[in-house]
Amino acid sequence: MRKLFLIARSNMRRAKGQTVAIVVLILIAAMLLNLWLMLSMDYKANFDRYHDELNAEHVTVTVDDEDGAVCEFLSQTLENDDRVSEYRHDGCLHMTTSFSYNGGEMNHWCVFLKKETALTRTVGRAEIVEEGSFSSGVYLPMIFKSDEIALGKPIEMSIGSHTVEYTVCGFFNSVMMGSHNCGLTEIMLSGDKYAELETLGYAPQATLCSVRLYDKSENLNFEATIKSAISERFPNLNMVSNSYDIVSQARYISQMICSGVMSAMAFFVLLIALVVIASNIINYIQVNMKNLGALKAVGYTSRQLIFTLLLQFLGLALFAALVGTALSYALFPAINSMMIAQTGIPYLIRFLPLPVIISLLILGGAVAFVVWLASRKIKKIEPILALRSGVQTHNFKRNRIPLEKTKAPLNFALALKTTLSGVKHNITVCITMLVLSLVVVFSGLMTENVIVDMTPFLNLIVGETADSCISVNAETEEDFLTEMNVDSRVEKAYLYTTINVTHPGGAELLTTVCDDFTKVNNPNVIYIGRFPKYENEIAIGAKYAKEKGLTVGNEIQITANGKTEKYLISGLTQVTNYLGRDGLLTRSGYERLGTITNVSYYINLEEGTDIDAFNADVKEKFADAVNTTINVEMTVEAASGVYVTLMTIIVVAILVLSAIIIAFVLYLLVRTMLNNKKRDYGILKSLGFTTRQLVLQTALSFMPAIIISTVVGLIICSLIINPLTALFLGSLGIVKCTFNIPIVFITVAGVGLILLSFAIACLLSLKIKKIAPRNLLDGE
Amino acid sequence: MQKTLLKTEKLCKTFSNGGQQQHVLKNIDLELYQGDFTVIMGASGAGKSTLLYALSGMDTPSLGKITFGDKTISDLSQDGLAVFRRDHCGFVFQQIYLIDGMSVMDNVLSAGLLVNKDKKALVARAKELFAAVDISEETQKKFPTQISGGEAQRVGIVRAIINSPEILFADEPTGALNSKTGLDVLDTLTKFNEQGQSVVMVTHDMRSARRGNRILYLKDGVILGECNLGKYAHGDTARHEKLSAFLKEMGW
Repeated sequence: MRKLFLIARSNMRRAKGQTVAIVVLILIAAMLLNLWLMLSMDYKANFDRYHDELNAEHVTVTVDDEDGAVCEFLSQTLENDDRVSEYRHDGCLHMTTSFSYNGGEMNHWCVFLKKETALTRTVGRAEIVEEGSFSSGVYLPMIFKSDEIALGKPIEMSIGSHTVEYTVCGFFNSVMMGSHNCGLTEIMLSGDKYAELETLGYAPQATLCSVRLYDKSENLNFEATIKSAISERFPNLNMVSNSYDIVSQARYISQMICSGVMSAMAFFVLLIALVVIASNIINYIQVNMKNLGALKAVGYTSRQLIFTLLLQFLGLALFAALVGTALSYALFPAINSMMIAQTGIPYLIRFLPLPVIISLLILGGAVAFVVWLASRKIKKIEPILALRSGVQTHNFKRNRIPLEKTKAPLNFALALKTTLSGVKHNITVCITMLVLSLVVVFSGLMTENVIVDMTPFLNLIVGETADSCISVNAETEEDFLTEMNVDSRVEKAYLYTTINVTHPGGAELLTTVCDDFTKVNNPNVIYIGRFPKYENEIAIGAKYAKEKGLTVGNEIQITANGKTEKYLISGLTQVTNYLGRDGLLTRSGYERLGTITNVSYYINLEEGTDIDAFNADVKEKFADAVNTTINVEMTVEAASGVYVTLMTIIVVAILVLSAIIIAFVLYLLVRTMLNNKKRDYGILKSLGFTTRQLVLQTALSFMPAIIISTVVGLIICSLIINPLTALFLGSLGIVKCTFNIPIVFITVAGVGLILLSFAIACLLSLKIKKIAPRNLLDGE
Repeated sequence: MQKTLLKTEKLCKTFSNGGQQQHVLKNIDLELYQGDFTVIMGASGAGKSTLLYALSGMDTPSLGKITFGDKTISDLSQDGLAVFRRDHCGFVFQQIYLIDGMSVMDNVLSAGLLVNKDKKALVARAKELFAAVDISEETQKKFPTQISGGEAQRVGIVRAIINSPEILFADEPTGALNSKTGLDVLDTLTKFNEQGQSVVMVTHDMRSARRGNRILYLKDGVILGECNLGKYAHGDTARHEKLSAFLKEMGW
């Protein structure tokens, strides 16, 4: 065993550079793998930990309740439902509220609670995370903490159509109502401010009901049932709800994207490391054929020699993996703070043994398997043959580029000869470049569709956007429409209001009602079929349809306001608003179930119109008839800002990582080539080839494989990136992606990748300078 | 009056080995003339090969000056020396050193195309030279591992002279060959010398040394003596005796 260890150590010492490069690749893979495992295994679990710690609810409902009738009804209903384990209801104020946030505008349905109430609720309690010395003002969910919204700073809030100003007293953690990504956002007010708001009457009195279930998987069904029961009993009351499934997924979209990208990168880097290790072993066997023959001749068995390589590479891999996982802990605080800013839920970093063990097992197992696979050739080495001549590293039976006939310039022709004789190198280069092509295309896709212009991303995630959204009382609708028709600033206005309906036996569907779907800005919302046209038609979320085995042409029942009607599915939608539980109905279609009490209109304005000024004018003109005006662009900008930041970081990180990977892979290949061809370089130098010519030849010899695999990789990846992204976002309800393929970015990045590879290969080949023809004469 | 091709002044070469300095060449003043077949002889460790590498620009001297025509080559950079070798020198190695990954023809053309861009003329010259050293068309297509040692060395000679160098350097060209093939190689060198090719050859073999017209004897890094044998002629026994006497005098 000691002898085998010594052989392994000697091998590593002789190839220090290669050893370091392999260690770095495995280290990066281990780091990403451990980060991914920590994010995916523990980050989501953190939500459940807080959910338990704060005894958070599985379903939350807020309903207008001026006289306490709803509260009474809820108590009766919940007492008689055997799915309910415990519940809590409290008086609150609720209203759509907006304030400046993240360079845009946060616009959401907010529940205002008295601080003391929020902190002492037996179900759905909130906890203060940060608090200043101010005793009178507002407490906001952690997610809003930013430079603008900080302790002691004033914050101006538009509650309905009124504006109030508070001092930020602190930040809190509320599991089910602590984000703008869910149906409801909780806002705590100090006792005096709550009383003041109550007196002002800007937000109506409501009941906030938080329900814990025995079986949390029932949450969506329960939500549908309870809302159906309430709307049946109190048809015209405003009601907003949250459920565990929706909230737990919505708050972790960023984490899901981040960990998804990390896992993909981890496995890509691991794949490249494995290819490099395999190529290294095959090359080692060829170069050391005589030594291996000699070792066999003195009695070493093939198994022992293979074990030596296993010892060498597995030892390296495990060492690198340990360092990599340790490094992941150094990197985790930065990722954690980025994630907390997006989930709004605190996460305490601690050592997690399971991800480390899994990382070590994956890396160790993969490396051991590849070493075994690549080193099996040792079994075929017969000592006598190996000692006589070694085994030819190349088969020179065919002269593929005869200099006599080729029209290529000398250096290029010699480079091409090297290319054609290095199949293993070419395979390694091709796999690396194919993987990096995917990275480049993904980066391009995210840059073009998220970072530079978010519209395609928003079309996919949000569905429909416009410039302004104005919500008016139903009785003012006609006057409002007349005004919109004559206002020269308005390009088009269409009804676009969301109402919850229920699919009996299924779930609640967040349904958008539109008077004319031909007016919508994003026709891609429909994935299969078409928008509903007639009153008996509905379009539903593709994800939900798949879950329920429904498709275009099927008939489903829809319930709202205590009425049930049949609808024909005209199309399938893909919007992530409600994780695929969406629906589209025409106005006449919805009116079969009830009347729309609060109508929201999406308005497209003429180019250059000031959206805020337009909204202010409408508000002034219609006064109390206008419930809310939303600058959609600003709201979307605020909500999507986190994605832009996240994507920018991801794109920069993976591009930097790609450059590092190319550098290391090329380093390994160039080093191996220089070692193998040292004699040839010496001969060529003695003939009069300059270092520059040989560097050029070496770098050029990698280029055919690099260029071909990059071009092929970029083309293939461009074709498959949309389906791949759809697969990646499948859990959010996305079935088909129609992101713009950034041809210019991909072309420029592809050329950049090729030039970078060429430059790195040239730089690494400069070692040729040290090869002197004299070395030949000294017996190499 | 013969034209001087290469000239050295106070040429020194010192190697450092484990902190100890080893003076291999000591103040050598030497002139090499056009058309000569100069043979450098000496015992092992005398510095023959070191002198050859320095003269051919394969290595740089520690001190002193080497001039080729009016160009000082001892001051050139590594790439400058490569260009010097490319434009003016040919080299035949003891271990032959053909590139295994290239066919026989490609080994020669890779050197030729460095200087001569007229591929057609170059291929014609290569074929002419191959014919002169008795390398068949079939052999030209083979790879170095598929031909004999003698054939390989003759290919090495063709490669060395494909660019018509002013000087052909040969380091023990028959050292790795058997008697018969060694003789073929010497005949080839002699033939080219008779056609005007200047040759500088290092050897410790008397049979090889007889081919030269000028014999230099190197001992402990200095040129101990010089003997002029005149142009080689087959069966010239007096030549052999003269060389034997010279070497005896040198302490061979």
